[in-house]
Amino acid sequence: MSSQTFHLPDVGEGLTEAEIVQWRVAPGDTVAVNDVLVEIETAKSLVELPSPFAGTVGELLVDEGVTVEVGAPIIVIADAEGTEAPAPAGADAPGAEGSGAVLVGYGAAGEVASRRRKPARRPAVSAAGVVAKPPVRKLARDLGIDLSAVAPTGEGGEVTRDDVMRHASQASVFRNIETPEWPEVREERIPVAPEVAASAVAPPIQEPSTSPRVAPGAASGREETIPVKGVRKATSSAMVRSAYSAPHVSVWTDVDATRTMELVKRLKASPDFADVKVSPLLIVARAVIWAVRRTPMVNAAWVDLEDGSAEIRLRHYVNLGIAAATPRGLLVPNIKDAQNLNMRELAHALQNLTLTAREGRTTPADQQGGTITITNIGVFGMDAGTPIINPGESGIIAFGAIRQKPWVVDGEVRPRWVTTVSGSFDHRVIDGDGMSRFVADVAAVLEEPALLLD
Amino acid sequence: MSELTSMPMGKALTAGLRAAMERDDHVVLMGEDIGPLGGVFRITEGLQAEFGPRRVIDTPLAESGIVGTAIGLAMAGFRPVCEIQFDGFVYPAFDQITSQLAKLTSRTEGALRMPVVIRIPYGGHIGAIEHHQESPEAYFTHTPGLRVVSPSTPNDAYWMIQDAIASDDPVIFFEPKSRYWPKGEVDFSDRALPLHASRIVRRGTDVTLVGHGAMVATLLQAAALAEAEGVSAEVVDLRSLSPVDYGPILDSVRRTGRMVYAQEAPGFTSLGSEIAATVMEQAFYALEAPVLRVSGFDVPFPPANLEGVYLPDPDRILEAVDRALAY
Amino acid sequence: MTSADTVNVVPADGPDLVRVLAADGTFAPTPAAEPYLDLIEALTEADLETFYRDMAVVRAFDRQATNLQRQGHLALWPPSLGQEAAQVGSARALRPQDHVFPSYREHVVCRIRGVDLIDIIRVMRGVSHGGWDPTDPANGNTHIYTLVLGSQTLHATGYAMGLAFDGRSGTGDPDRDEAVIVYYGDGASSQGDVHEAMVFANSFRTPEVFFLQNNQWAISVPVRTQSPAPLHRRAAGYGMPSVQVDGNDVIASYAVTRRALEEARGGAGPRAIEAMTYRMGAHTTSDDPTKYRTDDEESAWARRDPVARMEAYLRSRGASDAFFADVDAEAAAYAEDIRVRTVALGGIEADGMFAHVYSEPHPLMEQERAWLAEYEASFGEEQA
Repeated sequence: MSSQTFHLPDVGEGLTEAEIVQWRVAPGDTVAVNDVLVEIETAKSLVELPSPFAGTVGELLVDEGVTVEVGAPIIVIADAEGTEAPAPAGADAPGAEGSGAVLVGYGAAGEVASRRRKPARRPAVSAAGVVAKPPVRKLARDLGIDLSAVAPTGEGGEVTRDDVMRHASQASVFRNIETPEWPEVREERIPVAPEVAASAVAPPIQEPSTSPRVAPGAASGREETIPVKGVRKATSSAMVRSAYSAPHVSVWTDVDATRTMELVKRLKASPDFADVKVSPLLIVARAVIWAVRRTPMVNAAWVDLEDGSAEIRLRHYVNLGIAAATPRGLLVPNIKDAQNLNMRELAHALQNLTLTAREGRTTPADQQGGTITITNIGVFGMDAGTPIINPGESGIIAFGAIRQKPWVVDGEVRPRWVTTVSGSFDHRVIDGDGMSRFVADVAAVLEEPALLLD
Repeated sequence: MSELTSMPMGKALTAGLRAAMERDDHVVLMGEDIGPLGGVFRITEGLQAEFGPRRVIDTPLAESGIVGTAIGLAMAGFRPVCEIQFDGFVYPAFDQITSQLAKLTSRTEGALRMPVVIRIPYGGHIGAIEHHQESPEAYFTHTPGLRVVSPSTPNDAYWMIQDAIASDDPVIFFEPKSRYWPKGEVDFSDRALPLHASRIVRRGTDVTLVGHGAMVATLLQAAALAEAEGVSAEVVDLRSLSPVDYGPILDSVRRTGRMVYAQEAPGFTSLGSEIAATVMEQAFYALEAPVLRVSGFDVPFPPANLEGVYLPDPDRILEAVDRALAY
Repeated sequence: MTSADTVNVVPADGPDLVRVLAADGTFAPTPAAEPYLDLIEALTEADLETFYRDMAVVRAFDRQATNLQRQGHLALWPPSLGQEAAQVGSARALRPQDHVFPSYREHVVCRIRGVDLIDIIRVMRGVSHGGWDPTDPANGNTHIYTLVLGSQTLHATGYAMGLAFDGRSGTGDPDRDEAVIVYYGDGASSQGDVHEAMVFANSFRTPEVFFLQNNQWAISVPVRTQSPAPLHRRAAGYGMPSVQVDGNDVIASYAVTRRALEEARGGAGPRAIEAMTYRMGAHTTSDDPTKYRTDDEESAWARRDPVARMEAYLRSRGASDAFFADVDAEAAAYAEDIRVRTVALGGIEADGMFAHVYSEPHPLMEQERAWLAEYEASFGEEQA
């Protein structure tokens, strides 16, 4: 026999509280089961509560005039016999606070403090055929992708949005045009039909005289005269020769180069590139080499022969020229057999070339034999240009500034790193579609450097 | 070998009732005017003459009384088949149906069985006055403890009424009154389908059309018209409204990827809404388009002059088909 | 409320009222009681003592159940306090083969027919809707309680129709002919279903007795709102005879019910009885009668208490103190046993919800039961 506590029951189907009006017993009184203990007042009426226990009144836990919630302990009976009503099932739930102790007051429960543990997520039931949610289906349809060709990675075997996007980028990466391997032979000579050669005759080149006609002593005030000699003279000659012999056509395209910027960042952080400068130019250089494989004619040269005919010399190697502004003027040293260099080697080669040029140590041999050139006008803040082809070559790429611009991604306008890839080409050697494809390929690599894995 | 006989649904029901009454002498019919008149739709024609007034009972004019006393008769060992004269007149019996008939088995933890059938002619297309063209299926499909069915053909009517009477559970038997008179083949030798089975009644590949009762014929018309436009529609006859046999429906939707549910009843919180939600849940990955519903408007059934506008017809169904195909 | 506010203290006797025991327990038959004296004289001393014992024991049970509710063991209790005589008298008039359709307050009727009253407790404790199996012979053909007022009158009538159809009544053999009694109250008498039940009963001449306990109150609404005319007069409108009896007189209640049942089972058609009594307790434990009726009224009816009345009558016939002490002891023991068994009642399994919704297998039941089982099991798997 021990003490038992009587908790305030819900006497009226959903009551939440009651006021203790009058105690009918005092501590020390002997009570039998069903003896009236107390009169309470609920929202509905005055009610007498009979004792569920027989025993001695121990403690009155609530004063008269006080209102308590259903379930609150109101009286202790010592040496008690008898049974109190059990709490309803809901009161056992973890976190449940409520009137709890009243039994059949299944009614007025308090707030549940927390959720019962979450059951483990069950994987989605996979249906026959392709499993994909309607929005994913729409995306695939919008992108022109066959869902059944997409590898699903969802938990339930479903094709996710990411799966579709990944497939889309891969699909655009590996377009139908196959990229041929480098041929064994280093150079092919392609004869040009006489009538084509004839129409391509350039007007006579006006070689600038080696020194300008300038009156000695006239350099002051309104006009300054700078003699043309040395590098400038050579460069000018070359440009004239090129500009007046090769019909230049320029094409350009804007491209989202964000992924290139991300790759450059990663390369910079990579231990393999810790000792060498990495810049977007490296990616452009690799892109150009790759794109040459796919449109080899940009790497060719038109050669007028002495007998009046012409041929196109198609080189199967890339001596990649990089236009460099040096203290002495514009130079175009080239990296020999750049197609054989891996990314690291090319990075080193570029760095060497740049340093050498900056230090004025570029040799004539460095500048001879170039097959295609990149000019980085982005360092000047320019986006695009119509560069002059280096004589003996058929194409030159101008690589513009990469800056944040609004770009449409997934149907939304977002800031992306955008650049323009422009190029001038010798229209005798390459047609519009070829030069466009070439520039597009370079731009494609800037957009998705993973193409270089081809 | 099947014996096929062409007869209207009304006559098929009469034959089914007769067969059930011959089989079990505690099957009793009760309702208003079902004796000498044979019921306002003649479904019980000739039965009182054959079985006598103690088995085909003309009751006082009191729907709650009909269902309430049927419950008492069921307790006493009978299998009552109540006829409610028209859909719009079932409401006075609603309390006896939902508070008592549906719950007595669970209330007595299985001790009491309620083998009561309540036959209700329902639906429009007969140009009738108010209260005579209702589609109140949803009130009853929403009530646990009841079974609800609706045949669309004379053959189904013949077999389903017998199965409903044989069931130990209460069955609300909705008879599409606009289909009472058109004829169809009844196979007296072969039941073919259980009471609560749904059935594909027309094969197709592009869209699944589902409905019950009189709507099935409309769906078949819509499917024929669709075919002329190059759309291949599959049609499923629901037959059982509660429980629903989702098997053939889901099989169909997984092949076609699109579904339209058509019903005379007002669409808001209707049976079609429940079926659409369940199909979308169960066949989510197969769906090329959301499940669409073609329903009566959410207004009281209008004067008969407007019933052609109110009730879904092949054009309304095809409009939904077009929308489904556009996704 | 003061006594000046209330009209309905104790209704005056109508000319048709059947009574044999006056309020003070003296044997004083009213004129209308004359036809029943033969039945009354046939009662033995043991019968009379049984009537008293029935009333006293159920009153103790009823008080215990009320206390159990006040202690949180029951959600609700509808007390039968004050209506013991009407119920005991009518129930003791039934034959074993008869069928009972109660409302929800006929606790002693159930007990007399063989129902274990713990089954009523189970309903009020929220572990069962029906309580007992109405098809179990041990329960004496007693249908379960019906909480929708008046609905049971149609069920009873349908059942009685079935008896008639099957020839289980009206053969002339009272030991075999079955009858139906249906209990309902003054409030329920306004329900349409009660009207329809009487229409059907008289159309089909059912072997049925409509037993209306007019306890003067439908929760807080006095009977004069249900009808300004005495309720037993409605029967004539349906074509059936009726009788009004003092429902606090257990002997008269017995006699009128006995006669009505014998006539009904004999094929004479349905009968109606209005038993004038008083709901001495509240409608249920959620109710507060102090809000709508006066102490004066309650005191007036307390002076007409059916149990005290019968005690007085028995004492006048020589019943001893020992007898009454024995009854009190039995009543106390019975009540104590109910308490013990009530607190020992367990809960119910959740998946029982699905078991009996239908008599035949149902796919949705299987599906939902399986879902709930899996859902509950999923919490057990993920222990922190």
